[in-house]
Amino acid sequence: MLYRVIDAAELPLLVSAFMQQYEVVAPVKRGRSYVFDAIEHPEDMVLDYPTTSASLKKYFLPPKETLMRFNAQTNRVAEHTLEVPPRVIFGAHACDINAINRLDQVFRDGTYNDPYYCARRDATLIVGISCTPADSCFCHLWDADEARFGYDLFLQDIGDRFLVSISSVEAANILESACNPREATDQDRIDFRHATRRRQASFNPGIPDIQDVAMLMDAFHKDDFWEELGSRCLSCSACAAVCPTCFCFDLQDRLSPDGKQGERYRVWDACTSPQFAQVAGGHNFRPEGRERVRHRMYHKLNGFLANHDRMLCVGCGRCVKACKADINPVKVLEFFKQKGADDASAA
Amino acid sequence: MPLLHSAPAKTVEVNPLGERVTPLSGAELMAANPYRPWPARITSITDLTATEKLFEFRLIDEAIREAFRHEPGQFVELSIFGVGEAPISISSSPSKHGFIELCVRRTGRFTEVLHTMQCGDIVGIRGPFGRGFPFEQMKGHDILLVAGGLGIAPLRSLINNVHDERSEFGKVTIIYGSKNPSEVMFRDQFEMWRHRKDFDLYLTVDHPDESWDGEVGLVTKPFEHLELDARHTYGAVCGPPVMYRFVIDEMRKKGIEYDHIYCSFERHMKCGMGKCGHCQIGHQYCCIDGPVFNYWEAKNIQGSM
Repeated sequence: MLYRVIDAAELPLLVSAFMQQYEVVAPVKRGRSYVFDAIEHPEDMVLDYPTTSASLKKYFLPPKETLMRFNAQTNRVAEHTLEVPPRVIFGAHACDINAINRLDQVFRDGTYNDPYYCARRDATLIVGISCTPADSCFCHLWDADEARFGYDLFLQDIGDRFLVSISSVEAANILESACNPREATDQDRIDFRHATRRRQASFNPGIPDIQDVAMLMDAFHKDDFWEELGSRCLSCSACAAVCPTCFCFDLQDRLSPDGKQGERYRVWDACTSPQFAQVAGGHNFRPEGRERVRHRMYHKLNGFLANHDRMLCVGCGRCVKACKADINPVKVLEFFKQKGADDASAA
Repeated sequence: MPLLHSAPAKTVEVNPLGERVTPLSGAELMAANPYRPWPARITSITDLTATEKLFEFRLIDEAIREAFRHEPGQFVELSIFGVGEAPISISSSPSKHGFIELCVRRTGRFTEVLHTMQCGDIVGIRGPFGRGFPFEQMKGHDILLVAGGLGIAPLRSLINNVHDERSEFGKVTIIYGSKNPSEVMFRDQFEMWRHRKDFDLYLTVDHPDESWDGEVGLVTKPFEHLELDARHTYGAVCGPPVMYRFVIDEMRKKGIEYDHIYCSFERHMKCGMGKCGHCQIGHQYCCIDGPVFNYWEAKNIQGSM
């Protein structure tokens, strides 16, 4: 990876340069929380922010998206063009970039590349920024606290400067034209290592580190714990809505009032919704909250790992805050920690 | 919002048929947007039972029709615009090109509408999707096919494929169970086969009437007097969820290997491409990893049975 250093004072110039050519999306303050939104001035963004309440997936997989239009009388597709604006996401945390990398594995799988997702992904540049973990963060447990790819630029805050990892030509050219990137000095490297160690040391030690969680998910698949956890689930789908890696969707048709034409669209869906696994004729493969919550956790902490060698959780902690029933991966980790303690005292 | 930015925009286009700018092959057209259904005409409708019909479709676009090739056990996504899409397993044999047969039970809104459609009507089809039965691998072996109820729909594709390449297989045994005689599908075909020496056919019903002269009892009943060369046999099972364990137990008792028993699973495959999540079983997707799994794979999937 190519590294250069820029002064912190140059950052607004970089943002302005992107704004010449792209819509710039960045973290902004809304009430007491932070969200990603399009900005009009570099000073609108807040780069020292805790995790945003909603993730970045809406820019690649909108909550609702038209896939095609159709003529219902002839039962054939009609003309439809999706045009995606060129966009820069400025100030994404490592967990969120890692989440997008996981979405890439699903939507650009090489067999069935999703043209809508790919168009958005190709039209988007990502500028990452280093962060300080909040209490609900556990990205380090899943090896998601560093973004190794999936961005165009990554800014490491090293005091009054940024160490910039440069990944794409497109972003390199803009960086070059807007700022005065210079070679990193020994002092820059020392400061970078200090910053990294500071971040690594500031994670909440109360969240248990259970590295064999995937195996335990299989071993305790029938445990009463899932009933305890699942019976609390309100099926509100808030977890899936805020999750940066939840990608499930439903496909639906909507007709115009005259019934002559319509659109086929997709909307976010969640495996915790009661009818999610129902088939024609009414049989439901996961009728109980216990089964649905367990499936969601299992897919995240075991299933996706089995297929893609990484978990479908980046430890961003959004669900920890969003779930009204206190159901989240941290509860699963705490359960396994308790199991371990029980076993130790029994032995 | 008008596009004010100067970097290149990315576009996705869905064009109606006949307005293609560049000539692409059928496979390229289908891959360009795998969500896009291709128009197909209903060319034949046969009533099978009071609630099931066999539809024959022909894809209208020649390039698409040519590119459409399936394996026994695969499925398509059938579209009626304004109503939606449904995953339906292909009942016709891959050995016959140019048309697709789907056996559909009237069971919900989508199938209600489909059942009102007539020959000549247009539907949309995309696919085929999924992993079917390992037909090539099965060649040279004895075959034991067990279907329960509507499970005959995907298995018929395999049965007819075996029929069309009969000399490639050893002994072929078919067990097909229904609740009662009026629910037996493809009865004409099976009635004819009953007298053939190259198929051991057991039609069984739970509740016979006076017209019934086949077997009586559950689909596992014929196993009592079944003689198998288990080590050289492939089993294939499809039926309602409750049936699998019992049939597979019988196959295992006869000595058929774990990974020689293939089952086709039912889930709601909404996208068909391993994305929407609706058909997940444990860590697998029914739509891309299945719908046909061997029993060893199935045992390793949490929640498969």
